[in-house]
Amino acid sequence: MVEFKDLTVVYNQGMENERVALKNVSLTIPEGQFVTIVGPNGAGKSTLLKVILGEVQPTSGLYIIDDKTMNCMKPHRLAEFIGRVYQDPNTGIFPALTIAENLIIASKKGNRPFRFSSVKEEAITLLRDLGLGLEDRIKTKAGELSGGQKQSLAMVMAILSKPRLLLLDEHTASLDPDSASRVMELTARINREYDITIIMITHNMEIANSYGERLMRLIEGEVVNDGIREILSRATSVMC
Amino acid sequence: MAILEQGLIIGLMALGVYISFRIVDLPDLTTDGSFALGAAVAVRAVVSGLPAWVAIALAAGTGALAGSITGTIHRKLKINVLLAGILVMTMLYSVNLRVMGGPNLPVPRVVPERAIQSFEEMSGSTGLESLFEEIDIDTEKRESRRTVVAKNIFNNDLDGSDLTLIILVISAVTVVLSIALRSDPGMTLRAFGSNPSGVVSFGISQNVLAIAGLTIANCIIGLSGGLFALYSGFSDATIGQGMVVTGLASVIMGEILLGRVKLFYGLLSPIVGGVIYQTLLSLAMRYGYRIGFLASDMKLLTAVFIITVIGLRQLSSSGRKRKVKQEVKRLWSNSKI
Ligand SMILES: Nc1ncnc2c1ncn2[C@@H]1O[C@H](COP(=O)(O)OP(=O)(O)OP(=O)(O)O)[C@@H](O)[C@H]1O
Ligand SMILES: [Mg+2]
Repeated sequence: MVEFKDLTVVYNQGMENERVALKNVSLTIPEGQFVTIVGPNGAGKSTLLKVILGEVQPTSGLYIIDDKTMNCMKPHRLAEFIGRVYQDPNTGIFPALTIAENLIIASKKGNRPFRFSSVKEEAITLLRDLGLGLEDRIKTKAGELSGGQKQSLAMVMAILSKPRLLLLDEHTASLDPDSASRVMELTARINREYDITIIMITHNMEIANSYGERLMRLIEGEVVNDGIREILSRATSVMC
Repeated sequence: MAILEQGLIIGLMALGVYISFRIVDLPDLTTDGSFALGAAVAVRAVVSGLPAWVAIALAAGTGALAGSITGTIHRKLKINVLLAGILVMTMLYSVNLRVMGGPNLPVPRVVPERAIQSFEEMSGSTGLESLFEEIDIDTEKRESRRTVVAKNIFNNDLDGSDLTLIILVISAVTVVLSIALRSDPGMTLRAFGSNPSGVVSFGISQNVLAIAGLTIANCIIGLSGGLFALYSGFSDATIGQGMVVTGLASVIMGEILLGRVKLFYGLLSPIVGGVIYQTLLSLAMRYGYRIGFLASDMKLLTAVFIITVIGLRQLSSSGRKRKVKQEVKRLWSNSKI
């Protein structure tokens, strides 16, 4: 369970370019929930994910996981149970390594002992399920894949690392509609089959309206809507 | 032959530069300092009567220490890696002068048989101890005046034995490195080089990897500094000057020659590059005077070489972009017709 209590994040506090990115946000995200966050540019969506990852320290308020305060936990420690896939396909993979090596890195968490691991069967199965034929090219450098292929590989890597929590920041934004829906199907499956909590940011309303169980809207650092997606999207469709 | 031997030692140094600049992608400038440190420590060790192979090991070890300091300053104190390297390099300049006890130190032909003892004296045994030692100082002194031939691992005979030794060392380093890079921790090191923030998502600490990368790189550089000093028979304060640039030139030279051939994770290319670079260098030294080159121009030439190659790569990619733009314009105007 992820909780925020009265969370505020101020960038460059006390300087003239001070910027309040999150204002008194209080939230509870139960285990296994699939949350979609929407909102205009600069609303503070990515900042929220950065707090979860420990990349940004809250200015005030608490960030809690399972009743433990995580406010000043090191990013690589938090990463032991948090996975992430971002918009830029090159950030989720290691371009200079082969697909096989990428999968090996993803299969384990933390600094590792001197050993020579090979690709797990589970990884190949996941890759095959993508239907991109990547399983036959595992000696290929990941940097040579297309954006959609990289993003799919990044998702497989995120699953392999067995996170409790998966953070997705516009992870389909740079993909064509076909690849995007394939990656979205995979996202939904991760949530369903592996029971991984997902927090997904998107600007694509079509995706926001068809995936995830909870929909949240952030504007200027504040949560303005928060509810079960079906009800929210029905409500908006009535209004328009 | 001498050129080949020197080239290989420089190639080994370039291998260190390759690890920092290419594999972990950190532009580390410790090189000049750690090369000189390796040289100073190795010669000092031989002077103190330690066997040459211990001297070489100490050179590698102190190089590694220098690299780990740069890495720690860079990661823990959040100091830019270029600055961290320059700071450590500057510190090492003073350290090296102390290690050598002066601006230079030749490898002696003979060393005192009881040199280990004199090493302790140099490294500053306390006044109290020496008071006690004073009692039988006469016998001690007499003994320490007995000398034996210092065993250098190099004989400079050009009989192939030096070359064999250098090739053995380089092969050992390359084989160990390529196995290490294939292992799980080595894989994370390469991963860090290709996407530094990405490793964090898999629970791996960037600090550990950056420090490890710089430690390994400077360990190799210190080792080559030690070999270089024993091979040339001396160490001096400026022995490391311009080594980063030389190493980088060798790396680039190797990349040009071996191109996309990435055997052993590309570890061979800086070594080949080092040999070629050293060959060109000595040719330029030998025949360059005819067109007015001085030996002192070499550093200028080396840097210009690096700028030219990187510049050409840049130009060719922007040239391609221009071509694409023209193509777009052409298709666009055609479609309007
Ligand atoms: N490192 C930073 N330093 C200073 N201000 C920042 C920093 N990162 C973000 N901000 C500011 O914080 C606010 C929230 O940014 P954030 O990246 O969280 O927005 P977002 O909702 O993700 O927007 P987008 O949809 O464009 O990705 C913005 O006003 C931004 O300018
Ligand atoms: Mg954002």
